[in-house]
Amino acid sequence: MKQDKNRGGPIRVEELDPNFRSEVMKHGEAQELNACFACGICTAGCPVHEIFPEYSPRKLAKMVKLGMRKDVLSCPYIWDCVTCHNCEQRCPQNVKFFNILNVLKNMAAEEGYAPNPWVEQTKQIIKTGLVFPTDEALFEKRRSFSLPDLKLDGSKVKKIIKLTGIDKIKSQTKG
Amino acid sequence: MKRYALFLGCTTPTQVIQYELSSRWVCKQLGIEMVDIEDFVCCGINQVNLSQEAGLLLAAMNLALAEKRGLDILTLCAACTGHLAESVERLKNQETRDRVNNKLRKMGLEYKGEAKVKHISRVLYEDVGIDRIKEKIKIDLSNLRAAPHYGCHYLKPESAFNGFDDPDNPKTLHKLISATGAFPLQYETLNLCCGGKSFPVSREVVFYLVQKKLDNLMNRNIDCMVVQCQTCYLMYSDQQEEINKQLKKRYNIPVLLYPQLLGLALGGDPKNELGLDLNTISLNRLLAKAGINRRI
Repeated sequence: MKQDKNRGGPIRVEELDPNFRSEVMKHGEAQELNACFACGICTAGCPVHEIFPEYSPRKLAKMVKLGMRKDVLSCPYIWDCVTCHNCEQRCPQNVKFFNILNVLKNMAAEEGYAPNPWVEQTKQIIKTGLVFPTDEALFEKRRSFSLPDLKLDGSKVKKIIKLTGIDKIKSQTKG
Repeated sequence: MKRYALFLGCTTPTQVIQYELSSRWVCKQLGIEMVDIEDFVCCGINQVNLSQEAGLLLAAMNLALAEKRGLDILTLCAACTGHLAESVERLKNQETRDRVNNKLRKMGLEYKGEAKVKHISRVLYEDVGIDRIKEKIKIDLSNLRAAPHYGCHYLKPESAFNGFDDPDNPKTLHKLISATGAFPLQYETLNLCCGGKSFPVSREVVFYLVQKKLDNLMNRNIDCMVVQCQTCYLMYSDQQEEINKQLKKRYNIPVLLYPQLLGLALGGDPKNELGLDLNTISLNRLLAKAGINRRI
């Protein structure tokens, strides 16, 4: 079981951040958040919720509205989303929770909560343009099937990544 | 027949080259021309975890590279399909497109919104068509029963796919399987995600989801699963083996990529043209049942 030490017990009012909701909603992708009436169909269809009941899109949406900044951004389960899009596909209010979650993950990453594999993938695509390392054995295998060589040039990706600043994100310095 | 820019993505050309091999071969047989663009890079979907803007910029860069050559993109990976198609939708917004193009221009690129994205199965379904596929079948696979798995991003977000298929009750892969003569199974966990996108951070999620689907399929008398994404492939085949090893289970369901199944029906060489020997779980029993007298 994952450590989620901030959860459980009553909401600590002194820790609420009244600006958190507007901070999230200033991202275009999260604008429909106010339309959520907490019916929970997102959570009912979420395969990750089935595995980790602690992970609940409905609950997270409510927590954002209440301003529970620290609890939301440090929640380890937000990184387990399988990106199946069921939450937004089934939402009767057209809330795109998948996009809201991405906004939350981006904010959490800036605050040092990003899991190492995602940070490492960024380092890798800067090198070769692809998220997986390659080696001579692969090149040989590809040639044996007459498949074209891979170019493996990360220079343009590097420029793009630098423009967004995510090359500076460090993995899980907190949480 | 139409020409497409072939978008390989990251995983197929490095870990599942039989998908690339069989896709190239099948498209050649059916007159779909694939153009390699060596400047293509990662579609950006995983970068969305850290920055949605980075994910969008990478997608836009790839779209711009195809557009420069006057081509639409043909994808193999479901996730690349979903992310690129969703990005096409986002970039219809003038403000977003201007912001993105201001950055792309630094690399001498611009995306005007012309290049579009289609998954290989959609190209087979729409451009070639079920009837024309049937006309080309050389080997009848009607002895085979196959469980289709669509892949979430092949269908969703629905807004990115123009009503191509119904995410809640998808039919296109069933029809593509039927075209080969094989029987496509309808089953309870059809729409269950493979978990592949959380594989780098959570094996627990993958093990649970893969087992849930395999449990559903174990006593359904099927010869294989048929997938249309290399990540789904890796979850249901390589992780099936991993689950057997680590959890002492005895799952034994071979997994084919759709172009491999279609390739067999089109008379392709199982090994050299379709790369069946590269699949993790042996397909010899399936080949024998299909009456293809070649061991791999």
